[in-house]
Amino acid sequence: MTDTTLPEGTGTSPVKAGMVRRLRTSMPLVIWCAVGWLAAMVLTAIFADLLRPHEITAMSLTQRMAPMGTPGYWLGTDDLGRDVLSRLIQSIRVSLVIAFGATIISAVFGTTLGFLAAQFRGWVENLVMALADFQAALPFMIMSLAVLAFFGTSMVLLVGLMGFYGWERYARIARGLAISASAQGYAGAVVQLGAKPSRVYLRHILPNVASTLIVSMTLTFPEIILMESGLSFLGLGVQPPQTSLGNMVGFGREYLTRAPWIMLAPSVVIVLTTLSISLLGDWLRDRLDPTIR
Amino acid sequence: MTPILEARGLVQQYATGRSLFGKPPSMRAVDGVDLAVREGEILGIVGESGSGKSTLGRMLLGLETPFAGEVRWRGQPMPAPRTDMWRRLRAQMQLIFQDPLAALDRRMTIAAQIAEPLEIHGLMKGAEAAERVAELMARVGLRPDQADRYPHELSGGQRQRVVISRALAMRPKFLVCDEPVSALDVSIQAQVVNLLRDLQEQEGLTMVFISHDLKVVHNICNRVAVMYLGRVVEEGPSGEVFGDPRHPYTRALVSSIPKAGRGLTDRIILQGEPPNPAMRPPGCAFHPRCAIADAACAGEIPELSGHRGRLTACLKQRAIIPATAA
Amino acid sequence: MLNFILSRMARAVMTLVMVMSFAFIVMRLSGDPATILLGPDAPQDAIDAFRARWGLDDPLWKQYLAYIAQIFTFDFGISMRDQMPALDIVLERIPATLAITLPAMILKLGIGIPAGVYAALHRESIADRGVITLSIFGFTIPSFVLALVLVLIFSVQLGWLPSGGQDSWQHAILPIVTLSVGGIGIMARFSRSAMIEVLGQPYIRTAMAKGLSWRDVVWKHALPNASVPIVTLVGFMVGALIAGAAVVESIFSWPGVGRLIVSSVANRDLAVVQCLLLVIASSMVAANLLVDIAYGLLDPRLRSKRSAH
Ligand SMILES: Nc1ncnc2c1ncn2[C@@H]1O[C@H](COP(=O)(O)OP(=O)(O)OP(=O)(O)O)[C@@H](O)[C@H]1O
Ligand SMILES: [Mg+2]
Repeated sequence: MTDTTLPEGTGTSPVKAGMVRRLRTSMPLVIWCAVGWLAAMVLTAIFADLLRPHEITAMSLTQRMAPMGTPGYWLGTDDLGRDVLSRLIQSIRVSLVIAFGATIISAVFGTTLGFLAAQFRGWVENLVMALADFQAALPFMIMSLAVLAFFGTSMVLLVGLMGFYGWERYARIARGLAISASAQGYAGAVVQLGAKPSRVYLRHILPNVASTLIVSMTLTFPEIILMESGLSFLGLGVQPPQTSLGNMVGFGREYLTRAPWIMLAPSVVIVLTTLSISLLGDWLRDRLDPTIR
Repeated sequence: MTPILEARGLVQQYATGRSLFGKPPSMRAVDGVDLAVREGEILGIVGESGSGKSTLGRMLLGLETPFAGEVRWRGQPMPAPRTDMWRRLRAQMQLIFQDPLAALDRRMTIAAQIAEPLEIHGLMKGAEAAERVAELMARVGLRPDQADRYPHELSGGQRQRVVISRALAMRPKFLVCDEPVSALDVSIQAQVVNLLRDLQEQEGLTMVFISHDLKVVHNICNRVAVMYLGRVVEEGPSGEVFGDPRHPYTRALVSSIPKAGRGLTDRIILQGEPPNPAMRPPGCAFHPRCAIADAACAGEIPELSGHRGRLTACLKQRAIIPATAA
Repeated sequence: MLNFILSRMARAVMTLVMVMSFAFIVMRLSGDPATILLGPDAPQDAIDAFRARWGLDDPLWKQYLAYIAQIFTFDFGISMRDQMPALDIVLERIPATLAITLPAMILKLGIGIPAGVYAALHRESIADRGVITLSIFGFTIPSFVLALVLVLIFSVQLGWLPSGGQDSWQHAILPIVTLSVGGIGIMARFSRSAMIEVLGQPYIRTAMAKGLSWRDVVWKHALPNASVPIVTLVGFMVGALIAGAAVVESIFSWPGVGRLIVSSVANRDLAVVQCLLLVIASSMVAANLLVDIAYGLLDPRLRSKRSAH
């Protein structure tokens, strides 16, 4: 029973081994590129302060809208003469930090609620599922816009808001897996040995559902990047003088005809990053968890 | 002798659907069971699929709160599930599952899983616990080099041995085995049954043994209770029940046991539909399939009571009493 | 089946109540509703009149009930920018949004599903790989980047299509394309995997073993079963469309609901934002309800249970 609903961890069934081998032989180049790109992005985010050639707000009035390839300003400058490369590096850091923070918040929050629903059932479960329905029924973008309208924009609010993105998926997955594990599976067996819920959930259920949750994280991560950059693009996310990828594209939009490079570089970074994570996520999903699409 | 475990008027019912308005429909899986388990005995529970054996077993262990009735362990009422008292009591009573693979955590080595109850109940740590695990593994016939294996690397019989040794880690007094071998290959069923019986003797365990396999029950159980649609219809020492079945349902069951040199020639084939707890017939639940039932059987639910020195729940048995008593 | 529809409707109502409560909570947390709905510059006597009328000094639960009652009379407050009822402003914008979202929806379904089904039926072929690759690109490119690239190509470079406004049908082309590309990708991918899963089921093998033609197997057995999960996705698509409209309408200066929400958020025109929130949520809930019912009609397991569930 549980064999079909739970991810197999160390299993080496012949079917699986064949699939992994197939993936290893047919996928590696794309996956390696994706991993390489993501590693570069993470390193850029970590060492942003060292890598930046200029201050992100440093304006050079003599070098306004310099095209790509200008010595010292390899990706050009914007309308105020600020270095696009430096701003891009800082944007990568800001966007990745927001997306990482939000992904982790939403995974922890959603999983916790899902486990609570599975543990207490009854009205707790009904409440969590009703909240999940509500979250799924209201487009997240619209909800975020409403919250930002009422509270004004701030970095903390933005991360907190993005931290709600996709929590209902983790909650549903965690609840479903925990219930099936308790009903007739290993978790029920441990409960009947006399274990406290904390032990059952942290030592047994969490490690068993981790791979499924990680796969969901690879789904929500790029979506959060897109959500944040969409809001920032509209001028409602990250606020100047701070900068993020979407925010750069938003500014570049006004110079689309005269200085397309301002929006080009951040657009490419967004597309390549979300693409890499999606590819990697797909690959991981096939490898770790054949039961979900 | 006072029973170690006593059940009175146990009823369990489950909702069979949802309904927006009014009460959801429900069905009784166990419908009024009185049972006493004596210290050191093996009590067998037999009955068709769906007769409520597993549900009864879970209630005896306190894993489920009965809808009505109560279970007493050593004279004390069973604490509510998932309370601290209840958790402490787990050290004394354990369940052996039908499907050992489902009962084991596939991400933990078997040594870690056998040691788990020791950790949970804070009994032993480190070297002492490792020693106890090694001892338990030897006890159930697992090789020491299998300690670091994962459940899927073992055979079905070996997995069940892991489950058994984990259950024994706390030196429990009472064990419910719910079809402990039915998921195993026929060739190793006997080994595991013998292991259970040996352990029962050596450790002085009290055991409830739920099974479809009447032969095994006959062999290892001191007493046996026969269930039909959530009620015990006959109960007694297993030699007597199998040697001289009184209830018509028990007779049909016993006649289906193949015996050497006899074949199944005098087998009683039950007519009618197999029992469905959602549509329990009025009166004696067995009457639509019973060869000797008459109109009275549809009107009254027979109680489990003594007739000619045995416990049966059948109106026809009662009819005989005056004759033999006189 | 009736029970099923009733329970879905109960859930829909429940969700709407939660959206209203959400709006109420956010509004109360963010400050005084009088200044929120009347604007910070409102004269003091207007504020006092408002507070008295809406009982802002009453206990919270009374205010909550009053708020719900207010919504049921379609009173969403006055836009502080245009001094018009918020609901009128929102309703006025709906046709423009439908003019681009409906065609986009048709494109998503009309291209996405056939492409996905075709790919599933010709697995590992070049067409299949093409569908997978394109669909991955389709949903990883953010709509605002796609929109700007399209403008750069078709408006700036080629000069074929206008880059913004709402004067002719040509103006609608780029917004519609932008809105539909991501959804086509998701739809194609999802239909493909739904179809592949169905094709792997034992009953398909049984149908083939019975000697049915491949055509009949696909049309009579595989497609109806694959349509069940696909229909659920359509419910989510409606939400994605509305969210996408916010970005796309802003870029193309398309005077619809999406652009209205962005500008009202930027101007903090809270009466309008709140009204939009409730209108959008209601349409989402209605769409999901329809999908649920369609799901019930399609799913043979639910259809065959007459009264039990
Ligand atoms: N948790 C539950 N929820 C709803 N119904 C249940 C539940 N557990 C058992 N039942 C129902 O109660 C009845 C008795 O089940 P039970 O598992 O006790 O039977 P059993 O005698 O152990 O059968 P088997 O020999 O097949 O194991 C069955 O009809 C079953 O469907
Ligand atoms: Mg059972």
